Amino acid sequence: MKNFAYVRPNSVEDAVSRATSDRDALFIAGGTNLVDRLKVFLDEPSQLLDVSRLAMKQIATTNEGGLKIGALVTNTALANNIDVRNNYPLLSRAILAGASQQIRNMATVGGNLMQRTRCPYYYDTAFPCNKRQPDTGCPAATGINRIHAILGSSDRCVAVNPSDMSVAMVALDATLEVQGVEGKREIPFVDFHRLPGNTPERDTNLEPGELITAVILPPVSFAQSGVYLKLRDRASYAFALVSVATALEVSGEQIKNARIALGGVAHKPWRATEAEEFLIGKAANKSNFEQAAEIALKDAQALAHNGFKIELSKRAIRRALAVSAQGGGEA
Amino acid sequence: MNQIIGTSVSRKDGRVKVTGEATYGAEHQIPGLVHGYLVTATIANGRIHNIDTKEAEDNPGVIAVFTHRNQPKIFQPSNGFFGLYESRLPLADDLIHYAGQIVGLVVANTLERARDAAHLVKVQYQTEQPQVEAQKATYQKAPSLFGEDFEFQEGTFETGDFSIASSDAAAKTEATYTTEIEIHAPMEPHALVAHWENQDSVTVYEPTQWVKGSQRTYAELLGIPVEGVRIISPYIGGAFGSKAFPWPHGILCVAAAREIQRPLKVVVSRRQMTANTGHRSQTEQTMRLAANKDGKLKAIEHTAKTCTSPVKNFPEPCTGITPVLYATPNMRLKQEIAVLNVGAPTFMRAPGENPGMFALESAMDELAWELNIDPVELRLRNETKEHQRKKLPFSAKHFAECLKTGAEKFGWSQRQMQPRSQKQGDLLVGWGMASSAFPALRSSAEAQVRLLPDGTAHVLTSANDMGTGAYTVVAMTAAETLGLPVAKVKVELGDSVLPNGGMAGGSQMTATLTPAVLAACQKVLETANAQNAPEAFANLRESGRAAYEATASSAPSEESKKFAFNSWGAHFCEVTVDEEIARLRVTRWVSVINIGRVLNSKTAASQIRGAVIMGIGQALMEECHFDPNTGYPVVYDLATYHYPAHADIPRIEVNFVGEPDFNFNPMGVRGVGEIGITGVSAAVSNAVYHATGKRIRSLPITPDKLL
Ligand SMILES: Cc1cc2nc3c(=O)[nH]c(=O)nc-3n(C[C@H](O)[C@H](O)[C@H](O)COP(=O)(O)OP(=O)(O)OC[C@H]3O[C@@H](n4cnc5c(N)ncnc54)[C@H](O)[C@@H]3O)c2cc1C
Repeated sequence: MKNFAYVRPNSVEDAVSRATSDRDALFIAGGTNLVDRLKVFLDEPSQLLDVSRLAMKQIATTNEGGLKIGALVTNTALANNIDVRNNYPLLSRAILAGASQQIRNMATVGGNLMQRTRCPYYYDTAFPCNKRQPDTGCPAATGINRIHAILGSSDRCVAVNPSDMSVAMVALDATLEVQGVEGKREIPFVDFHRLPGNTPERDTNLEPGELITAVILPPVSFAQSGVYLKLRDRASYAFALVSVATALEVSGEQIKNARIALGGVAHKPWRATEAEEFLIGKAANKSNFEQAAEIALKDAQALAHNGFKIELSKRAIRRALAVSAQGGGEA
Repeated sequence: MNQIIGTSVSRKDGRVKVTGEATYGAEHQIPGLVHGYLVTATIANGRIHNIDTKEAEDNPGVIAVFTHRNQPKIFQPSNGFFGLYESRLPLADDLIHYAGQIVGLVVANTLERARDAAHLVKVQYQTEQPQVEAQKATYQKAPSLFGEDFEFQEGTFETGDFSIASSDAAAKTEATYTTEIEIHAPMEPHALVAHWENQDSVTVYEPTQWVKGSQRTYAELLGIPVEGVRIISPYIGGAFGSKAFPWPHGILCVAAAREIQRPLKVVVSRRQMTANTGHRSQTEQTMRLAANKDGKLKAIEHTAKTCTSPVKNFPEPCTGITPVLYATPNMRLKQEIAVLNVGAPTFMRAPGENPGMFALESAMDELAWELNIDPVELRLRNETKEHQRKKLPFSAKHFAECLKTGAEKFGWSQRQMQPRSQKQGDLLVGWGMASSAFPALRSSAEAQVRLLPDGTAHVLTSANDMGTGAYTVVAMTAAETLGLPVAKVKVELGDSVLPNGGMAGGSQMTATLTPAVLAACQKVLETANAQNAPEAFANLRESGRAAYEATASSAPSEESKKFAFNSWGAHFCEVTVDEEIARLRVTRWVSVINIGRVLNSKTAASQIRGAVIMGIGQALMEECHFDPNTGYPVVYDLATYHYPAHADIPRIEVNFVGEPDFNFNPMGVRGVGEIGITGVSAAVSNAVYHATGKRIRSLPITPDKLL
């Protein structure tokens, strides 16, 4: 670990300009992921730019009737926010399914979306890892890969994104607001995280120096039907083996709108667009849900130890859709 | 006289623990203290080709870097010495036997600098292919453990064929059961401070289950007299068998502290603890049972394969409990062992009995289904009055009572026999049960009691409390014997200068220590010529003496050699399974346990609860995997090594039955600890079968296995 400077930028602009002029600087917010990483030499920043005191802690209603969530809102505050609970229950549930109360009290929205993979091969510098050090190899592909990707991986990286919140955000068609030295820009959530391809070292499409300032949720008329189902190795305080976020708009017998997103299966929160399209205009019944699940997983590929995730994902989709069709709630 | 034994008393050390006042090993602040950080091998087999410490040494704050090229002075222990987990001494040579093996120690003036510099030590290896896969290993006959051979045969297996013994059996079952590597993962990490006061005397602040043992080991390895080593270990934040002897990091810390002439602290990181401070071996066990129509066992064959390390030959003694549980004319036990490139496996809460009873109690359940006999009834019909290897009768055995009481408390008679027949909404509900058993051990111990003019009694002994409640039962024993309230008894434990209180291992502390406390209390009253402490205090004030004091010891009697001693129990549980999404929850638990006399109903029940929780962890989630290519563990912290969270655990009802076992000791107590975990994983797996009709013979029962 190199010595690093600790700096508290006094504004978003200040933070961004420092981060842009020093490529080795890192933002720190709640620190619940970054500090752990520093301790095991995964990151060796030149400076830590502590953004946690900046004014990005508001949750405000937008003109469209959605919500604009500041990047520094804590996971706890967001999950318990009354508008979120009423209008986006699936987001609230996704957050509460993650980490522990203590961690959620510290963790921020921006930090959650930027947290890095829990692949054990990434996590220990004793192993080579293309994500940590490009072109060194991916021991997970031929190692113990029970928790690894079944969708969208490459021969360079089979890691999965661990965030629960992101799965909800992608299902809700959120947009990220980010700020760089050139000014603000918006990134649709689906395009924010990347697939590993040949550059697994890059998790997201955030440009160097850019800071996430807010996440914008559009109004979703059928968000009440939202479900977040997280399946894992213990009842609480574990990352997802597979998670599913769903919502359905059903009018009469027909599905008008469908959202399906998966977590724990890919390098990014996985939106199952084709399966959603399949459902539109169909009846909300078991056999259609089964087919949707098949479509969502049709390109899935198993490694030595994670084949079960394909079946588990299908079942989770079926279950979550069934609960959404009943109007949402706990699955 | 005041009745204290058998009541419910909150732990004496509870307050200092929850307020943070209790000082654990590595929390001792000593002026001039410096920090050591371990450098550990990143390969699992081979040798060190080159080790470059230059950059580390040049780093700010670095005081010393130790490697095999400048091993601090450590002496070879004498022949037959057993007080070590690893037979190999730290930094002995350039050989690497397992990933995570210590290859260096960096000492610096702060922890951060030591850790940083440790990261800068560059090791080049000559790597050989490691073997970390049990399935691919080569097995041979397991060595004996504590003088007990694993090969055992009785009855008719003339041709070596199971079918002879079971030829006219009404039912036969044969199945293979596997368990994964579990790590102890105690809440307090392995950590110590070593402080040399001068060349011949060192104080070691370290959590240890056996202060007198550690004292001897350190003395031997450091080449100084036993009295030169003082071990201070008043509190232990969990050990479960992993803190009974010094590990290489401890030896290295104490030896390096002598070299640098400063107090030195070494804390093993969670990451490192997954590799080099012990684990329970994976096991593969085949159980073959044969029984008559009425359920009477005709034959049991139990074979076990476990793995060990190049640095320790430790067989997980899986078959030891089998002759204790069920009567059969034909029994065959066999154990094999293979060496893998992993750290030393060791004792972990009910070593042997725990995985052994997963196999045996699952097999008994399978047999019960085969015969269509209730599993509780099947066990009752096969109870044995004697230990079938020792040929001794059991003392104060209340096993049947455990089974019957458990069945009643749980409502077992309401069980619908057929698998998949119980439902709760869309959930499948399963009920399972298993027996619980653990040998009652006892050694000799010594305690001192002092009566002081301020009206308090002090009990002093080197024994320790690793979270079990020893402080409290010692105080209760003294309070009742002396006729004092518990609050008037002060207990001092965990210091090697105190009388030898024995070892906190094998669940024997209470049975070993409280008889000595009883004897010392009786003796001090005699000395004071008093019936009880208040009288003694009056005499004391009159006499003008500073204190009355007496030391007494207690050891197993000749009489006790006529019996086999064991504790007994039964677990009953309910699980729900959401079959579509493979979600399993344990929803109800009843344990009934017989441990002789219960001294403190509160801490005794806590011991059982803790053990049941750990058993549920083993049943559902605990497993430590090693990368097959490099041999490096892929579990790196408490977020990746899963053990139960609160949400995984239902209310656990604990009941005790039985009577004081005075054949065992004058207190009538047998130990309570490990007994609680035995049978737990089988009870869960048996319930899963009842719920789903699916027999899962490999632990842990993770969601993938339920699909
Ligand atoms: C034991 C444990 C269990 C956990 N379990 C779960 C779980 O089940 N599900 C789950 O979803 N999460 C889980 N987490 C992860 C947790 O949610 C994250 O650690 C947390 O959300 C990160 O937020 P933070 O504010 O602390 O981020 P930090 O640690 O401060 O930062 C994380 C990263 O984000 C970057 N960053 C922070 N803010 C911004 C910003 N505004 N713009 C750009 N970059 C930024 C930082 O540079 C850093 O790289 C767990 C964590 C732990 C330690």
